Amino acid sequence: MGLRLEPRLAPSARWQAVSVAVALLAALAVSALLLESAGTDVGVAFAAILDGAFGGLRTTAKTLAKATPMILTGLAITVAFRAKVWNIGAEGQLFAGAMASYWLYTLTGPALGMALLPLLFAAGFVGGGLYGGLAGWLRSAFRVNEVLTTVMLNYVILYLLSFLLVGPWRDQSSFYQQSERIDRAAWLPDLWAPGKLHLGFLVAILAAVAIHVVMNRSWFGYEVKAVGLNARAARFKGINVERTAVAVMVLSGGLAGLAGMIQVFGVNHRLESDISLGFGFTGIIIAVLAMLRPGWVVFVAILFGGFENGGIKMQVATGAPSAIVSAIEAITLLFFLTAAALTRFRIVWRST
Amino acid sequence: MQPFLKVDQVTKRFHKVVANDRVSFDVMPGEIHCLLGENGAGKSTIAECIYGFYKPDEGTITVQGNPAGLTSPRDAIARGIGMVHQHFVLVSSMTVLENIVIGTDAARPILDLKAAAARIREIGRRYDVDIDLEARIWQLPVGQQQWVEILKALFQGARLLIMDEPTAVLTPQEARRLFQIFREMTADGLSVILISHKFDDVMQSDRVTVLRRAKVIGTVNTRETTKEALTNMMVGRSVELRVKRDEHPRGAPVLEVRDLRAANDFGTEKLSGIDLTVHRGEIVGIAGVAGNGQGELFEALIGARKTRGGSIRLDGADITGRSPAEIQRMGMGYIPDDRFADGLVGDYDIQSNLILGHHRREPFARRGLLQFRAIRDFARKAIEELEIKAPSETTRTRSLSGGNAQKVIVAREFAQATKVILANQPSRGLDVGVIEYMHERLLEKRRNDFGILLASEELDELLGLADRIVVIFKGRILGEFAAGTADIERIGLLMAGQETAGKAEEIS
Repeated sequence: MGLRLEPRLAPSARWQAVSVAVALLAALAVSALLLESAGTDVGVAFAAILDGAFGGLRTTAKTLAKATPMILTGLAITVAFRAKVWNIGAEGQLFAGAMASYWLYTLTGPALGMALLPLLFAAGFVGGGLYGGLAGWLRSAFRVNEVLTTVMLNYVILYLLSFLLVGPWRDQSSFYQQSERIDRAAWLPDLWAPGKLHLGFLVAILAAVAIHVVMNRSWFGYEVKAVGLNARAARFKGINVERTAVAVMVLSGGLAGLAGMIQVFGVNHRLESDISLGFGFTGIIIAVLAMLRPGWVVFVAILFGGFENGGIKMQVATGAPSAIVSAIEAITLLFFLTAAALTRFRIVWRST
Repeated sequence: MQPFLKVDQVTKRFHKVVANDRVSFDVMPGEIHCLLGENGAGKSTIAECIYGFYKPDEGTITVQGNPAGLTSPRDAIARGIGMVHQHFVLVSSMTVLENIVIGTDAARPILDLKAAAARIREIGRRYDVDIDLEARIWQLPVGQQQWVEILKALFQGARLLIMDEPTAVLTPQEARRLFQIFREMTADGLSVILISHKFDDVMQSDRVTVLRRAKVIGTVNTRETTKEALTNMMVGRSVELRVKRDEHPRGAPVLEVRDLRAANDFGTEKLSGIDLTVHRGEIVGIAGVAGNGQGELFEALIGARKTRGGSIRLDGADITGRSPAEIQRMGMGYIPDDRFADGLVGDYDIQSNLILGHHRREPFARRGLLQFRAIRDFARKAIEELEIKAPSETTRTRSLSGGNAQKVIVAREFAQATKVILANQPSRGLDVGVIEYMHERLLEKRRNDFGILLASEELDELLGLADRIVVIFKGRILGEFAAGTADIERIGLLMAGQETAGKAEEIS
């Protein structure tokens, strides 16, 4: 006797909608319990989260700015996971992109002004892309598991950053491990200054559109998905599975690298380890919740951006620790993953 | 005499699909009873009901006059029903004895292997099955692994043995030996339910129950019927069993394989020097028991498996070591044996699978972007031409039946190939109608001067289609026969590795 999972023959759209709704409600309920147990007024807390996230134009703009790097890392993961290449290293690739663009900036200085921006974007993409490509190449050439390499490369790049920030790139005037402040001339221009919404958001949206087109309209995306769905059949029909994996890691790393560059030149305005609050890892959650669809990645990332801002507001309003917000995010993820599994399988009680 | 087993009005549904619709038949003691039907006719479902794996929605199953009320295979075994599945359930690193005793009542915390061994030897003597109980499963040929399964069922006290496609993996000689064992058993009052679609097997049974579309069409005495009559019942129309292979002059060599060597994924040598030539306008058949290197040979030919030596020439050009993409561009098409694992991207729809391999080319792609209109038009044409049964071109191939999935692959490969078609077990698991269609299309390609290399476990298929038949055994070609001179007996012996058998009239 026992519980077994049996695949559903045809997951219906209605069932999918129902399960997502149920997951959302269940996540809310459990989150409410958590807040309650922390001695927080649940109603006040939820209202504060909502208000802090989307309560007005300015807060919404701030939420979009917060979401920007997560859109890009979410897209990075989406591309990789579509090919069943398990890139857990978007965090490291983000830093690689940030460092590459900062390196270019140290070479040119701010003199070029706006003309420098495209170059900085390119540097961010190339830096992250090369770093991701390294793991892809190790996988394809030597069959090294990319989960291990990408995770370990996260540490490698962080220590390299640490070394550079106490060495050649150190801000001599500061006690902290950080670079000098970037000249205002090289900052990403604001889209809407009061909301601190910068050009990076537009770039992230454009990237989402581009990835959508690549994945769904181009032969490259067709090959990526074919490799992910059935690598054997893809290989038999002439698709170079190894080369595709490398290309996917370059693209994935490049997107994460863009996020790093955007944080340095749009938000922090200097190179420091604080440019990422684990966006590379949050990207995994976002991509999975978005079921690896670029359009949904944007949506989910904005929700997560809202959570970040709303969490701060909730903390102020109720005194509950902001860690609860992370817990709520995790709870939501668990329920959604369960819902996703239940749309494809059903639980059967059978005696054996 | 009371039947050992009586199946009465059994209905089994899966969701909305009715797999068995009021199925009734009975099995007498000492009878070999054959269940005949096309794929999806409900043979396996009813067998699994009798074995207690599925619970019928309606109807009763009676064993020796008592309603069985089976809820699990354990119940079935307790009532004397054993089943040997098509894919054996044996632990290959353990001995024959251990495999037989495992999971039985004899497997108490403290094993009394000696007593068990004595009983198994006794059973073996009785039915003339001679097997080394201390041998490990992996050391045994497939035919003997099957005996282990049978012994296990008998050891558990089976009075009725359900055999699912038992001869699929056997040489003709091994199959004959198996039926001898069945006869020894039935002489002892035991019964056999034989699930098969091979007429060589069917005709050796006592009675045949024919299933079509979940229903029993009828039960007949084997002695009083013919292949043709049974086919008629099975398909619902008369079918030309022999394909018409007209004379066609063969042309220049188009595929030349010399001393080809390759290993499987674990590094074990599976091809030990294959020599093979296929000419234009010729079908060369490869006979052999599954696992003798056929899969590795085809993969090496399409460039998906590294070779360790030898050469492959396609229309004169050396393609050894080239990539699958290059080899396909040069005109090779491949119909793999495992349709869903090797031939299709199951979660892609029909149209996406139809362009696989040509997806970068005009008119399917332009400037890097897929041209969905051209893709759809191509797919609709293929669906119409090949009569692929599917709601639309955007139906996922995973949801297609084996026959329709095969048609998608055939449509694609026939559209892409220009010189050579490789087909590995192209009719495995397909209905008569689709097989007929496959054969016609292969012969049509032969008329169009393609070179065709066809591997099949069905000797009848090879005898009907091939201009020449070669036998593969342990990665070597053992013999070669021209269509007219091929003799099932000698092919069978070569399939079992008896090298001298084919020598006498081997042609070169």
